[in-house]
Amino acid sequence: MQPSPELTPIERDRYTWQMWSPDFGEAGQRRLKGATVLVSRIGGVGGTAAIQLAAAGIGRLILAHAGNVRLSDLNRQILMTTESVGTSRVETARQRLHALNPHVEVEIVPENVSEENVARLVGGCDAIVSAAPLFAERLLLNREAVRQKKPLVDSAMYDFDARLMTIRPGKSACLACLYPELPPHWKREFPVFGAVASTVGALAALEIIKLVAGVGEPLDGLLTMDLRDMTFRTLAYPRRPDCAVCGSIGKGDTAHGCE
Amino acid sequence: MTLRVQYTAQLRTVVGHAEEVVELSEGTSLAELLAHLAARHPDAGSHLVTNTGQIRPSLLVALNGTAVARCAASSTTLHEGDVVALLPPIAGG
Repeated sequence: MQPSPELTPIERDRYTWQMWSPDFGEAGQRRLKGATVLVSRIGGVGGTAAIQLAAAGIGRLILAHAGNVRLSDLNRQILMTTESVGTSRVETARQRLHALNPHVEVEIVPENVSEENVARLVGGCDAIVSAAPLFAERLLLNREAVRQKKPLVDSAMYDFDARLMTIRPGKSACLACLYPELPPHWKREFPVFGAVASTVGALAALEIIKLVAGVGEPLDGLLTMDLRDMTFRTLAYPRRPDCAVCGSIGKGDTAHGCE
Repeated sequence: MTLRVQYTAQLRTVVGHAEEVVELSEGTSLAELLAHLAARHPDAGSHLVTNTGQIRPSLLVALNGTAVARCAASSTTLHEGDVVALLPPIAGG
């Protein structure tokens, strides 16, 4: 992260209400302004994370997502518009975020995370929201985030179930600790209400804000949400010392050894 | 003994309900419970165990609200009233 830049008078006005948060204040706002956050995919989950991060005044956002807007995206991808159907998702998102907050620099990457771009994307940011609909992308991003020791918030949903995990490499379990195999049953298409996706996306943005500003405590464990009956639980999930991705780095609670 | 088993996400869809009561003998292990459930719900079997009978590596299992390591499944014995939640991997974004 770059040293916390000064706020302009207009920025002080814009962020007044959140700077009233006593642990956050102007120092926290300046930390947000100095940060770059990568959002992998800007669908229902990542799109909400991106709009909340832009509203909060993260200095720079990198949005990575291939493809064009489809009509069937619009029940959940709240950065998209009916007019934008058939046009670039990331370009639509850039325009929407600029309209909300022109002080945020938005870099768009019309690609999904891949072996070819992951090192560069992770290298260019301070923190990551991971919200792709495929485990291959999530596990790849997790591997690179651990390698470069960048915090990553993995945010996922299916139907009325949602899960959130804040990964601090070397300190907490990583995604490969949970999923040491590529899950064979996951399907690319899944039932989704926009409100479920937005719930977990907003929580992901909040974890990033806390991490960057240094306020509160990061989520410790796996937050599971059953939004059918509003049951929220946090499962303790220690690192696996034999994890192929993070097992050899740092120190942490490694009581969960396995294979 | 009587146990409660909770199914979430895709498992809920495949099994067809969110929770069921299971009667097994006292001292049954978590691994034995999963084998029992795989036999009881053939469509969900491969979500629960691999074709060699091991717990599916990407299945998360929580016993009374605490995650259980897969390798501890055989040595974890179950007791009257235990609640076992089964969380298949999800990646909707």
